[in-house]
Amino acid sequence: MSFFLQELVNGVTTGALYALIALGFSMVYGVLKLLNFAHGDLYMVGGYIGFFIIRWFGGAAKLFIPVPLLVTIMFVAAAVVVGGLGVAMERFAYRPLRNAPRIAPLITAIGISFFLENAALLLFGAQYRVYNTPDFISYSSGIQIGSVSIDSVQIMVLVMGLFIMIGLQQLINRTKLGKQMRAVAADREAAEMFGINVNFTIAAVFFLGSALAGVAGVMAGLLFNTVYNTIGFLAGLKAFTAAVVGGIGSIPGAMLGGLMIGIAESFITGYISSIYVDLIVFGILIVVMLVRPTGLLGRAQLQKV
Amino acid sequence: MKARVIAAAVAVGALSLAGCGSSSPSGSAAAKSCTTTIGMEGPLTGPVASLGQEQLHFAELAVANDNKANHTKISLVQGDTQLNPADATTVTKEFVSNSKMVAVVGPAGSQEVEAVGPLFARAGMAFISGSATDPSLTTSGKNPTFFRTVSNDNVQGPQDAHYIINTLKPKALMIVDDEESYSTDLVSIMIPIFKAAGIKVDHESVSQSVTDFSSLVAKITPAETVVVLPWQIAANAQQFGRDMAQEHKKAVIFGTDGLYSPGTFEIAGSYVSSFGPDIHTIPADASLVAQAQAKYGSFGTFGPPVYAATHVVDEAIAAVCKGGHAPTRANVLAAIKKTNESTSILGKPISFTAHGDPKNGQFFLFKINSKGTYNNIPY
Repeated sequence: MSFFLQELVNGVTTGALYALIALGFSMVYGVLKLLNFAHGDLYMVGGYIGFFIIRWFGGAAKLFIPVPLLVTIMFVAAAVVVGGLGVAMERFAYRPLRNAPRIAPLITAIGISFFLENAALLLFGAQYRVYNTPDFISYSSGIQIGSVSIDSVQIMVLVMGLFIMIGLQQLINRTKLGKQMRAVAADREAAEMFGINVNFTIAAVFFLGSALAGVAGVMAGLLFNTVYNTIGFLAGLKAFTAAVVGGIGSIPGAMLGGLMIGIAESFITGYISSIYVDLIVFGILIVVMLVRPTGLLGRAQLQKV
Repeated sequence: MKARVIAAAVAVGALSLAGCGSSSPSGSAAAKSCTTTIGMEGPLTGPVASLGQEQLHFAELAVANDNKANHTKISLVQGDTQLNPADATTVTKEFVSNSKMVAVVGPAGSQEVEAVGPLFARAGMAFISGSATDPSLTTSGKNPTFFRTVSNDNVQGPQDAHYIINTLKPKALMIVDDEESYSTDLVSIMIPIFKAAGIKVDHESVSQSVTDFSSLVAKITPAETVVVLPWQIAANAQQFGRDMAQEHKKAVIFGTDGLYSPGTFEIAGSYVSSFGPDIHTIPADASLVAQAQAKYGSFGTFGPPVYAATHVVDEAIAAVCKGGHAPTRANVLAAIKKTNESTSILGKPISFTAHGDPKNGQFFLFKINSKGTYNNIPY
């Protein structure tokens, strides 16, 4: 039983990260019908921001500010900078292609992904940057239930992930900006005719989605300690899978998909073998697509002819 | 007018081709100045760029030092393979079509050597790797111009497995490959040895791109007192060790080559076997260590074997020039075959077997203490 619980905790934690990245994927797809393959690289940038903030404040072993303040600065800086980067990406790379054939922004997204990876290589070097989280957040500061260990970083990731997902859902369903986002997602031209500032709304979506990826990057750095320039590729691919399984364009779907994939990976590793993780996870994707092409919580769109 | 332009273009093309075809346009002059070009293939970007950059730095250092010592003018052209056979093939095609290039250092991975060996063979061009350890590369007969300055897995795999069996004495162990041929080859050599010794083996696999090992670590049973990680990325092993500490797992980590990285992988009580020695501990290398640290910062065990490989090429070129010849692919290849260095950066002589393996191959074993220091211990 304890083994089951340990794998569940591990899976939910990883799943929460996938979900946060998948949310950004899904939001952008929802409003622009664009698969932003550079999204995983925004997660990488967030990871680097967290690393350099730790270094600026003295390094993991010699911090000269309180840990809660450090962690807050890391998350806020990553959200703001990566959010801003997302807005710049939209403004200079995607907006000029908004009316181009759909393949054009897709290729641009892949190009931006390579650009960010190689820019990070040039700016930050090839070496793996290590957070050394245990030097400032002790493993023993978590919860021990029998032989099940949940460290404080895992707890923080789970609690933050939950609050962010609930907050985002509230923002989209209950605020004016959320209503604008839904309107733009449903019909961009009609939204414009109703006086909605489409450019602002799309930029806001990019800011929010990218900020979530930045936050996820810091969370991953704190949890898994490592950041390097291509770390976003696999994470982005998994998040994309999560978004598709959940129903791309659907916020609750992205959350569900992320958690499902995280938990599935953990249980497959624990109960079958790590050798089959990707085989089974991507097998699940194929089965879901065959049974429910719109994803678990996605809705089929009516096509006007 | 149009016809004249076409004729001029044809003439320029013909002249260029003629230039490409002549390997030594002014043989004696080239011999006198000893000016030539060599290539360096490595994973300069991509997931293992940290290792590739270290290799590049040591190749550059060797060329600079050897040019100074031998009064040669050897230029180094770098090619990024990303540890990917397809990229290595593209780079190799560029290199073999460069008529000025006489030999190549690299590529880093065995899978890459496998892909590019026939291209180099067809071009009659020597290539020396400082890290490709798959035994079949020198026994298959497909790579007649291939050499390496490191011993192969047929030495390392059994040596590591027997050390684990005889010294660490586990009843069960977990062995995790990183889905790259270097790692899977070593695992396939070690597992039968463990099983023959009656050890229960849990074979797992995890991509190099993964940094979350918590689920895998949860699977380590109390009976599994050793975890073997033949990986290339030290930071991943460090995280694996931290996940073990977080989940209160007591197994000892035994890693290979890529895990040799003081300052990155420092889980106390772990073992790392390496194809390269720690040159920080070789007194004769002190000035070279200082030079490398001043120029590039800290380094591990991937750079020095590439320095040794580059030095072999540089010395072969210098020997050809001293003989009054301009360096060509053929005479540099012949000179490399005759290599007989009484000492090297690796703290041992370098000469090659008829198949291109280093004679008297050797691996090194280190144990990490509680301060993260690597101590060389007898195998």
